[in-house]
Amino acid sequence: MGQLIYNRILQLLAVVFGVGALTFVLMRSLPGDMAFRIASSRYGQDNVSAEAAEYIRQELNLNQSGISSFFSWLIDLAQFNLGNSLVSGQPVSDIVSHQLGHSVMLAVAGLALSVLIAFPLGLASVKWQKWFEPVAVVFSIAVRALPVFVIGLIFILMFALYWQWLPVAGFDTPQHLILPTLTLAIALAATSNRIVASSTRQVLRAPFYQFSMMKGLSPLRTFQRHGVRNILLPVVAFIGIQFITVIEGIVMIESLFSWPGVGHGLAHAIFARDIPVIQGTALCLGVMFVMLNTVVDLLCYWIDPRIKEEQ
Amino acid sequence: MLAAFDNKKLYSNRSRLFGVLLLCVLISMSMIGWAMNVDPAEQNLSAVLMPPGAEYWLGSDHYGRNMFARLSEALRLSLSLAIICVLSASTIGCILGVIAGWYGRWLDNGLNIIVNILLAMPGLVFVLLFAALVPGSFTAIYIAIALVQWVEYFRVSRSLTQSLANSPEIQNALLLGFGRVYIFRHHLWPTLRSPVLTMAAFGAANAVLYMASLGFVYVGIQPPTSELGQMIVELFPYYGDAPWLLLQPLTMLALIVLAFHLIAGDKR
Amino acid sequence: MRIFTTALLALMFVFQANANTPPSKSNTVTISAAFEFANVDPSSSGYIFTRMQVIETLFDVDNLGNLLPGLALEATPNSELTEWTITLRDGVRFHDDSLMNADTVVNSLNIALGKYGSLGKVPVKNIVAQGENKVVIELSEAYKSLPAVLANYSNVILSRASYAEDGKVVNLIGTGPYTLFEVTPPHKITVKKFDGYWGKKASIEYATYLTGHRGESRVLQAISGQADIALQLPPASIMRLKMNPQTDVQSYSLPRTLVLKLNNAHPYLNSVKARQALSLAIDRKGIASAVLGTPDSGTAQLLPRSMSDWYLESFAHPESDIHKAKAMLKELGWTENSQGLLQRDDKVFELSLITYADRPELTNVATALQAQWKKLGVKLNVSITSSSSIPAGHQDGSLEVALIARNYGVIADPLVVLSNDFSAEGGDWGAMNWSNAEFNQLIKQLNYTLDADKYREKAQRAATILATELPVIPVSAYTEEVSVNKRLKGFHFDPFGRDFYLSDLEF
Repeated sequence: MGQLIYNRILQLLAVVFGVGALTFVLMRSLPGDMAFRIASSRYGQDNVSAEAAEYIRQELNLNQSGISSFFSWLIDLAQFNLGNSLVSGQPVSDIVSHQLGHSVMLAVAGLALSVLIAFPLGLASVKWQKWFEPVAVVFSIAVRALPVFVIGLIFILMFALYWQWLPVAGFDTPQHLILPTLTLAIALAATSNRIVASSTRQVLRAPFYQFSMMKGLSPLRTFQRHGVRNILLPVVAFIGIQFITVIEGIVMIESLFSWPGVGHGLAHAIFARDIPVIQGTALCLGVMFVMLNTVVDLLCYWIDPRIKEEQ
Repeated sequence: MLAAFDNKKLYSNRSRLFGVLLLCVLISMSMIGWAMNVDPAEQNLSAVLMPPGAEYWLGSDHYGRNMFARLSEALRLSLSLAIICVLSASTIGCILGVIAGWYGRWLDNGLNIIVNILLAMPGLVFVLLFAALVPGSFTAIYIAIALVQWVEYFRVSRSLTQSLANSPEIQNALLLGFGRVYIFRHHLWPTLRSPVLTMAAFGAANAVLYMASLGFVYVGIQPPTSELGQMIVELFPYYGDAPWLLLQPLTMLALIVLAFHLIAGDKR
Repeated sequence: MRIFTTALLALMFVFQANANTPPSKSNTVTISAAFEFANVDPSSSGYIFTRMQVIETLFDVDNLGNLLPGLALEATPNSELTEWTITLRDGVRFHDDSLMNADTVVNSLNIALGKYGSLGKVPVKNIVAQGENKVVIELSEAYKSLPAVLANYSNVILSRASYAEDGKVVNLIGTGPYTLFEVTPPHKITVKKFDGYWGKKASIEYATYLTGHRGESRVLQAISGQADIALQLPPASIMRLKMNPQTDVQSYSLPRTLVLKLNNAHPYLNSVKARQALSLAIDRKGIASAVLGTPDSGTAQLLPRSMSDWYLESFAHPESDIHKAKAMLKELGWTENSQGLLQRDDKVFELSLITYADRPELTNVATALQAQWKKLGVKLNVSITSSSSIPAGHQDGSLEVALIARNYGVIADPLVVLSNDFSAEGGDWGAMNWSNAEFNQLIKQLNYTLDADKYREKAQRAATILATELPVIPVSAYTEEVSVNKRLKGFHFDPFGRDFYLSDLEF
């Protein structure tokens, strides 16, 4: 366990440096004059001009060489200062915490709800294979093939327009969270319930499982003692990955519901060549990823201690 | 891997057959459109949003373009790109995942560190940067999506391999002297096959939908090419006026997913 | 770690209610549009804060483009138009209760001058205060339209406390009927009624602006009643809104025009005949009705009818004749090849068009244009990039064709925009590599012509030159569709985009 934590810390440092360098290099190699791009985001699309670009070039000292700006970024980072946005001048940590915070909130809520939906669905489709399984499969495929905004649109039409229970878009109150979360949860549960189902099926068929029932344990007991842990393993791994991909993948939901998250913010920042914001966001996402990996690994070890022994 | 497509198994499993048939129908639809030689980009601004009829088999879109021609071009483009994307993602992911899970210790740690640095690079940033680096190329975006998707395959195959590597079957096989490749084919792959093919089926649809979500933030649009994901975004505003238009690419997508899912099969 | 504690705290603050009577549906009017803003600095984001009536300018503009007194009562020039004396209004208080006087005005204007903005294009020599309520602006050249420039959003008057030492705007303490209550860039602003306003006080207590990124989302918000006023509505959803009993849909013509900016030095575009042919090949009626949803908005001139001095009746009905266009190009040496494309000296007539994604209609019009020019035999490659690639392409000469949505009303006097866009060296958003001696002369003269008839005569002549030589090709005028909830009374719309007129609204 200690070894794992130590490894993860090393990894964290490597990730910080690696992600920072990679984003930096990629951003600098993008076509287009940076000053112009920043001007168009700052002054509005109509108001960009060569003078604006020149003004920005002077103000932000964009003629600085790549290496020196990278190193000044690293030095700032060591003091936990992520710098300021080139477009708005606001501190990047504010922007990132606003955007990432909202995305994380939506992702956590959506994932939690999706687990609550996926597990019963998956287990039920194993238990009542004959008539429930086809229903679950059709549901999964139908939902999975639909883009998220169509699901969101259906929910808006139902809950916000027809029944007028919930608001259409925005991000102030808890009610504003419900529709985006529901949309996300349904979209996620469509895949995870299949993983739950196939994992359950495998476990139920496994010799050790059959053996313990032959031993005399009731099906319920067998499930509790032997089933749950084994089913969880690939599912936990899958859900862990879903989390990170979810944060980035909810671009559509954010656009549709005016939810101020990272997906939309990143698209704008890349358009605007706002390097500090991109680096800051990429960094936070990277750090979150490493911590998430750690949590998932710990969970896997807890579920299946054999892995620990092998190491 | 190829065992799944054994002739015997193919025809003995009815749903798998249905999936293959469905895929054939879709492919032939795309071929018919190509053979018909109707220009999917030709506009007729006085015949916009026409319902399906004699002249426009599947109706016309908001520029008066023939939907059938556009769908078949979109099928060709998106289908081939999605398959490339999924093949590369799953191959890289599974191979690396099995190696990491099996060899354990130094190799696993080493691979993990390198891989994690790559993985920690947020996928969306990566795809958007790629799209910005090579503007005007659908292939670049699909490749970027593959470089994001392989994560899932890696993780799942690594964790399954890790727990399986200690199981009695594998221990026995090793003791009996069977080679690693044999063990992979006969012990690991059957276990991996189900989740991996499931992920692949949805991964293909995912790739197209990722393209759609990029189109939602106006990235990657290249008029007048018809691409399934872009078409979905283009026709979205007309969901009230002409819902049959939006339903078409959506149905195509659902059919593709269904076909792949049926072919992937599910062990009963 | 600090990032995470900040994130956690941020999450908590998101849901925290505010102190005094918080804004609720019954006391708030909600507006939804596509604008996003970077920060509170007027030079970059002023356009949203003037609309929300937090900050004001020295002069205002009415619906027809005429100047009205705002924070200033009048502006008197000297005879050469090189020195303007501006008389300020008395008794105006900022939101922090300080009094507006000549010193604060000079301070605000000087800071605006030092930043990027509309004042920078005026040949300003000096801005000084004269007494308590007069400001004198000295210019190095004659400039007729100074008051119009002072009506632009980047030249608002803020109290001294709004600025930090280095001129950075830290707080938006203005003079408007509403004061800033809560601001979350880039999507949300809430403003509260200010009881110390010098003019007509507001009746509705709060107003909230929320960015609705997609047009469909704004339409849904309008239908559900979540947004009282929804702007920039897409043509596809107008029918549904019209059928909704709770909303009222209104159409307004804007001084914004969709134009094709051309590189007039490009070998395929450097003759007037070629440009006229390209313009003839555009099916403006089809684009206006099918793509934009506004059947009569096709236009072959830059400025709308409301700017009557510049509007040419003879060009009011643009014609579309693809055969005539083909014939004209044939005269220039182009012949049709086997694939239906025009060819000259082994080179295909191929052009690349850039446009930007911020306005969805631009992509749609570009797609339609691509097909129309294909019928003519011109291969148009469309690429969607950022709006900044247009001035960038202009500067480095790489631009061939660009589709832009130019706001000719950004300054109340169109002469300012036209003289910037079509100056002798061209303009980032105007002509590229085009110069006409007579036109330059006319523009110069217009700058000091005070006689209305002479002005109109010269303006009409200048407009005719633009419409005949086509250094830029106009495609369509803009009509904006606005949805207003029936619970609001007194709504009116500003086509110049300066004001939402919130203080005139009541429930």
